[in-house]
Amino acid sequence: MRAKIYITLSMALAIAISSCKKSLDKPLLGALEAPLLETKDGVNGLLIGTYSALDGMAGTSAIGGGNPWETSPDNWVLGGVAAGDANKGSIAGDVSEIEPIMQFYSDPTNVFYNSKWKADYEGISRANTTLKVVAKVTTLTDAEKANIIGQARFLRGHYYFDLRKIFKSVPYIDETTTDFNQPNNTDVWSKIEADFDYAYKNLPGTQTSVGLVNKWAAGAYLAKTYLYQQKYTEAKTVFDDVILNGVTSNGLKYGLNDKFDDNFTPETENSKEAVFAIQMAANVDPDGPTNANNGDMLNFPYGTNSPFPCCGFYQPSADLVNHFRTDASGLPYLDDFDSHPIKNDMRISSSTPFTPDAGTIDPRLDWTAGRRGIPYLDWGVHPGDSWVRDQSYAGPYSPIKNVYWNATQDVDGDNHSWAPGSAINYNVIRFADVLLMAAEVEAQLGNLAKAQSYVNMVRTRAANPAGWVHTYKDPKNPTGGFTNTPAANYKVSPYPGGAFASKDFALKAIYFERKIELAMEGHRFFDLVRWGIADTELNAYFKYQNTVTTDLRSGKYIKGKNDYYPIPQRQIDLSASGGSPVLKQNAGY
Amino acid sequence: MINFDRKSVMAIRLWQKTIKIMKLVTVLLFTGIMHIHAAVYSQNVYNFNVNNISVKQMFKQIEKNSKYTVFYRLDQVNVDKKINVELQDATIETVMKNVLQNQLLTFQVVDDIIIIKPTDGKIIATLTVTGVIKDTQGSPLPGVTVKLVGSSLGTTTDINGKYSLTLPDGSGTLEYTFLGFTSQRIPVNGKTSINVTLLEEAKGLNEVVVVGYASQKKKDLTGAISVVDVQALNKQASGSVNSQLQGQASGVTVIGSGQPGAEPQVRIRGFNSFGNNNPLYVVDGIPTQDISTINPNDIESFQILKDASSASIYGARASNGVIIITTKKGKGKVAIQYDAYYGRQVPKGGNVWHTLTPQETADLKHLALTNSGVTDFQDDQYNPDGTGSTFTLPDYISPAGAKNGDPATDPSLYYVNPFYTNSDDYNSFYRITKANKAGTDWYHEIFKTAPITSHNLAVSSGNEQGNYLFSLNYFNQQGTLINTYEKRYTIRANSQHNFNKHIRIGENLAYSVVDNPQVNYNSGDAVIAHAFREMPIIPVYDIKGNYGGDNGPGLGDSFNPVAVQQRTKNNKSLAYRLFGNVFAEADFLNDFTIRTSFGGETASGASHSFTYPQYENVENSQTNQYNEDSYSNWNWTWTNTLAYHKTIGKHDIKVLVGSEANQSYISNLGGARQGYFSFDPNYTDLSTGDVGSASNYSNRGESSLFSLFARADYIFNDKYLFNATIRRDGASNFSAVHQYGWFPAFSAGWRISQESFLKSATWINDLKIRGGYGIMGNQLNVTSSNRFDAFSSAIGQSYYAINGGNSAVAGFYQSQIGNPNAKWEKDVNTNIGFDASLFNSAITITADYYRKDIRDLLYNPEVLGTIGNGIVPFVNIAKMKTDGIDATIATNFKVNKVGFNASFNLTTFSNKITKVSNDANYFDSDNTRGFDVGFVRNEVGHSYGEFYGYKITGFWNSQQEIDAANAKVQQASNDPNATYQTDVAVGRFKYADVNGDGKITDADRTFIGNPNPKFSTGLNLGINYAGFDFNALLYGVFGNKIWNNVKRWRDFYSSFVTAKSQTALYDSWTPTHQDAKAPIQEINSSFSSNAQPNSYFVENGSYVRLRNAQLGYTFSPNGLKKLGIQKLRVYVSGTNLFTITGYSGVDPELQGQPDAQGHTTFGIDEGTYASPRTFLLGVNLTL
Repeated sequence: MRAKIYITLSMALAIAISSCKKSLDKPLLGALEAPLLETKDGVNGLLIGTYSALDGMAGTSAIGGGNPWETSPDNWVLGGVAAGDANKGSIAGDVSEIEPIMQFYSDPTNVFYNSKWKADYEGISRANTTLKVVAKVTTLTDAEKANIIGQARFLRGHYYFDLRKIFKSVPYIDETTTDFNQPNNTDVWSKIEADFDYAYKNLPGTQTSVGLVNKWAAGAYLAKTYLYQQKYTEAKTVFDDVILNGVTSNGLKYGLNDKFDDNFTPETENSKEAVFAIQMAANVDPDGPTNANNGDMLNFPYGTNSPFPCCGFYQPSADLVNHFRTDASGLPYLDDFDSHPIKNDMRISSSTPFTPDAGTIDPRLDWTAGRRGIPYLDWGVHPGDSWVRDQSYAGPYSPIKNVYWNATQDVDGDNHSWAPGSAINYNVIRFADVLLMAAEVEAQLGNLAKAQSYVNMVRTRAANPAGWVHTYKDPKNPTGGFTNTPAANYKVSPYPGGAFASKDFALKAIYFERKIELAMEGHRFFDLVRWGIADTELNAYFKYQNTVTTDLRSGKYIKGKNDYYPIPQRQIDLSASGGSPVLKQNAGY
Repeated sequence: MINFDRKSVMAIRLWQKTIKIMKLVTVLLFTGIMHIHAAVYSQNVYNFNVNNISVKQMFKQIEKNSKYTVFYRLDQVNVDKKINVELQDATIETVMKNVLQNQLLTFQVVDDIIIIKPTDGKIIATLTVTGVIKDTQGSPLPGVTVKLVGSSLGTTTDINGKYSLTLPDGSGTLEYTFLGFTSQRIPVNGKTSINVTLLEEAKGLNEVVVVGYASQKKKDLTGAISVVDVQALNKQASGSVNSQLQGQASGVTVIGSGQPGAEPQVRIRGFNSFGNNNPLYVVDGIPTQDISTINPNDIESFQILKDASSASIYGARASNGVIIITTKKGKGKVAIQYDAYYGRQVPKGGNVWHTLTPQETADLKHLALTNSGVTDFQDDQYNPDGTGSTFTLPDYISPAGAKNGDPATDPSLYYVNPFYTNSDDYNSFYRITKANKAGTDWYHEIFKTAPITSHNLAVSSGNEQGNYLFSLNYFNQQGTLINTYEKRYTIRANSQHNFNKHIRIGENLAYSVVDNPQVNYNSGDAVIAHAFREMPIIPVYDIKGNYGGDNGPGLGDSFNPVAVQQRTKNNKSLAYRLFGNVFAEADFLNDFTIRTSFGGETASGASHSFTYPQYENVENSQTNQYNEDSYSNWNWTWTNTLAYHKTIGKHDIKVLVGSEANQSYISNLGGARQGYFSFDPNYTDLSTGDVGSASNYSNRGESSLFSLFARADYIFNDKYLFNATIRRDGASNFSAVHQYGWFPAFSAGWRISQESFLKSATWINDLKIRGGYGIMGNQLNVTSSNRFDAFSSAIGQSYYAINGGNSAVAGFYQSQIGNPNAKWEKDVNTNIGFDASLFNSAITITADYYRKDIRDLLYNPEVLGTIGNGIVPFVNIAKMKTDGIDATIATNFKVNKVGFNASFNLTTFSNKITKVSNDANYFDSDNTRGFDVGFVRNEVGHSYGEFYGYKITGFWNSQQEIDAANAKVQQASNDPNATYQTDVAVGRFKYADVNGDGKITDADRTFIGNPNPKFSTGLNLGINYAGFDFNALLYGVFGNKIWNNVKRWRDFYSSFVTAKSQTALYDSWTPTHQDAKAPIQEINSSFSSNAQPNSYFVENGSYVRLRNAQLGYTFSPNGLKKLGIQKLRVYVSGTNLFTITGYSGVDPELQGQPDAQGHTTFGIDEGTYASPRTFLLGVNLTL
């Protein structure tokens, strides 16, 4: 009996030894291995994934880690707050990382830089993966391949453009790169040009889905790339083509929307003015507003009776608001706008009566900055202080362009998280931007009349009374509709014939028009830098704004240094393979 | 002089054939108790057919084939004589006659003994000795072996401790042996009755210690092993064995909290990995990572294997140290034991966070505004009409700043629907909340005195046939933080059935049900942080009894912590776990033992929670959501070992070989819905919410290990000790190329005290020096998927609304970068130490010095952003070195009936990172906690987890000082814009120019504190006199630093609108108070005050704490006996009675967040769940 037990045990032992070897081979669970994606649908999925990186988000955080607002695709911090479009907002100490950025004393360790850097390179990495895989797919026609390659290269161009304008000196990685520790000592403009040029020449004019980029979006971006390099002649050629022949991916001939605000409502998105828009969708993810412009989640009015749960950031600056003052003929005060300030309700509590400014104002203001006494979309008349988190810190105004409407809040607003998401697309390039860029090119080339005609197209659209903010039919029921009475004393006119008499004046007017037309859209800082006027403009801004708010007291712009943001210290440290870092810091940091 | 033949152990085994029936008690869970009967029958007639066999061999044959033992004198019997025996169906008499033919011998059969004597000898006068064996308590001991020394004669005591043994004559000596008791020898001297009281074995050199797959006597150990006194462990009222471990063993650091059910961080000899540093637990031979469900009352022994020579037999999982736990077995007659305690846990009293009153809070705001040059003192709460410049408290905070009688405070205007389901309703709320001018003590609104109780019932018994233990435990600890608790029910059934002396089978099984809601803590967004952030002017409830909150200007944005916790009231979670093994053991060929054990666990759990919409705060989440989550995991380990043990003269040899296979599987499933019509907890489930809001998830994972191992122990002359182990592990977590790893170790010991030159030193009882070297592995940080390049699809990561509108299309992204080249982490470990037992064993000392070289450390270094953001795989890149000393000194003596015992243990470790990755020499491991950079930096040349930031050298006391510093820099750099220090102003911090370049840049950040203690100690003291016993445990941690992030919130007016500290108002810099603690209070944060990590937040974290003190009284057994009680002890005890520390926070004992990140963060305070003071009343009763 014992012998039997021993034999059984020994056999069991032997079996145990032999059978367990196989079980050490465990498969990948719940994810795909690369070869499974080398199909038409697979590569199209990778392309969608490349688009998905446009919003800079991965779920409820930034795509490379960090907070959503650090990688917002509209660059509201690096392009907007830092350029005087807006105050940071909220209260002192809230997202304190922005405080050094907006006052230009940040150092390379600031988390915003690293997050942004990683988000853009993630987009590039996805584009490169798509390009690598598309080469292995055998079932695509040449045209289909060219379309996918064109889109992937367009998107890669976009991510590099973002990096180039923010950081200037960035390493270049494409689908052939195997060593990812590349130096940042060559200018990537030529690579960006090549990508957009390929896309411009190879993409079709229309696409099966409205969100897919087409030939004309590529053309506009290519021309913008030329403009940033001051290659005006090359830019003009492409801009002319785009303005004359451009259509959207769904086949609409490029043009300005009749109403300015149609650019900022989901109901009119992907209109004829949308050249390249990042598509946002609300309420598609029950776990949070992950596809609903999470990067702007902080940027809603905030206060005791604000209908939004958070957070009071990105408050249009008093200086920006003053830009919208028009003179009796409906033209702007190009130089002395701050001498004609628009009356605000600083230090006036919501329960104390206040009468808004009665002077002439560009109607675009009230689609750009929420201010006391004026209907705030259909949320009610802006009550001032009680919708502002700390007036004395960041001023009395609220952002609008990223804010959804009350009537459609269940569709366009996304309240699955502690701060709202929104279905409003972000227009990376809209046709008004194209016109103003083209105007700049024409002015630089001396075609002042042409430049003026482009600017006047934009101003004429602004002058359409149908597109103005009107008073509520019943202020107690703001969703009940609007009257035909303008909410303020709006007046805006095209420049009279011959107004662009000199190149200097033309450029000044164009720069100003860009400021007000594209305000709060994240372009301002990069425009100021390429125009070379960031130091004078911003130091003047600090001087004025410090008379209104307390948040910018340390603000000081240093030309040469602050034109570009620093290469993230973390990335420099990580590039120190074998001793000295491969990445070099920008001048001045 | 009689020389009895020495019989082998076999003879005793034969003797025990007389035990005709053995009782097997196998307790199978939920199925009751099953008895198995087995029987062995002896023959009465015998068949032999042997030729040319010696008499001696023939005697062996007889003993083997019959129940008899042959007894004879060597000087009388010619045992070498060759004989032939050919018999059929012969009686024993016939057999013996044949055997003894031609010798002048006869024989006599007495019971089972055959006594051989000369033919001329007289009739032998046999002697039957009877008696009772008891322990010191007077309880009879069944199963005690009684043996005539030098013979094979013996018996065991029965259930009443009685024995009866017939001896050939009245001479010789009887030996009484019983496991766990000191053996006794008593000369017979013709006595017919010998009663013996056995003393429980002192835990001394012969104490048996369970080591890897084997056991050893303490005197023979060559590795670094801490044997924990289980009785001392159980003095601590806790449901967690790990928590009881604090201060009990050298080389072990335990950082806990006051949260019921939260397992503390256990570190054996510091850090070994950048990830999971938890030790491997081996419970009754089954490896596991989780002992949270173990009932502390069930533990029999607790060993900690600290070095490679002791632990590396566990190979790939040994690097973090191994804790070996065995659970209790029944012994002796049936005993029913009941242990229970009830106590109250009292949170720390007083103004724990030094919070300002509401008026002081207003004064601080005024000060900050004044300091920042603000001249307009209009304030919505404190000065709503803007007249004058003083701040006074309003009567109402909502409507803001309202005074009594204000029509806006008319209660008829009030409207709040706490269970609102749409935003229109929400937007119509009219809140009226009174100001709490006296100030709300938020800490004590959420921390309350709470009960703790445990009831443990154990039934056990054991004898030579087998043993069993059945236990039931009910443990209920309410947390001092409201709505946290642990309720746990555990049942254990351990039994062993000895088929015969050679074959044993048994099982150890425990089933537990745990209900344990926990909170996150040590995080700025956790409920405890809300308690220090919520301003004191806010009342808990508004005028209608709904929650009060910061819904008003100037009140910050934190949550009412009472609301946060009360809303979790209906959340439920239950976890079920069956853990244990079945085993079989067989001895064969005298020296071999084969053992097989199959064990593991099945664990599952389900929880559901409801998120209520908020209404009382300024930032309200308006969604209502129901979540349900579940998991189902299993793992098993099958271990087979073959052991050989032989003593040949002065050589003692033990060899063991074995194999082990392990498989584990995890799976998770859950879902959520929103948009509930009603929040009634009886209504909400996953089916009743809005179908459009439904979301769900599931995932699973599996891994396996296969291992072969061997160990050899060799002892020469009880003096020279050698040990070698080796293990080869294969793991599914690695690719085929690197699947296997080898983990060898060896050690040696020298018992110098056995040498003749030390024999004369009588004060040395034992002295042993020992050393070992070996390699241990770690693979906890990788999973089976690590080697794959993986692509995934996830809505947040890779979906895009390509068609416009509110719908998203799925796309793919690379979710992981694979690393097929990952291999084992290696912990190359050296240990030297000594054990000494001095002055009659009154003093014992154990000390070890060790060094650990961690190579091929698996780490997922942050990679260049240019690679993309797929999850970075673990690569064998980093290196770390740790060395330190563990020591224990214990003493035990008696003065005039008063017994004293004390043990002191010391733990030190010094940890240095020697490599992080090829690309970087540091990584930051904590989140930024309100700063724009991290402050926990793990850098080459430094310890794990050090704090990093600017070092403060003082304040800028004047503008001239600033101007002079700037001028110097401007001159040196030829840059008129240059400044010495960013964002500098009078009253702010002056940072140290660490790199000496004449200005402050981020390169001046430096290491400003190490959270690792220089050393930690435990001191156990015990005194007993008559029936009284007193015990105390003092625990001390020295030389560590704490990052007090609570200060960031509260010592600076500008870091968010929160409740503030007295430091901010009374000890901040002003022109007239330059010798301040905090900098000038301002409305904006700045680089030079609170926006950058700096040394302001670093504090000394040393402390000494009276962990436990217990006074017990044991009633005299005499009186109790009548009541059928064997033992009765009652006690009172107190936990955390005092803490001596310079730390300003609530509790200096700080682990990281209780989550995955918590493995590597510690010493950071952002609102901790402090251990309460506990007062207990307890009883130990044995029937």
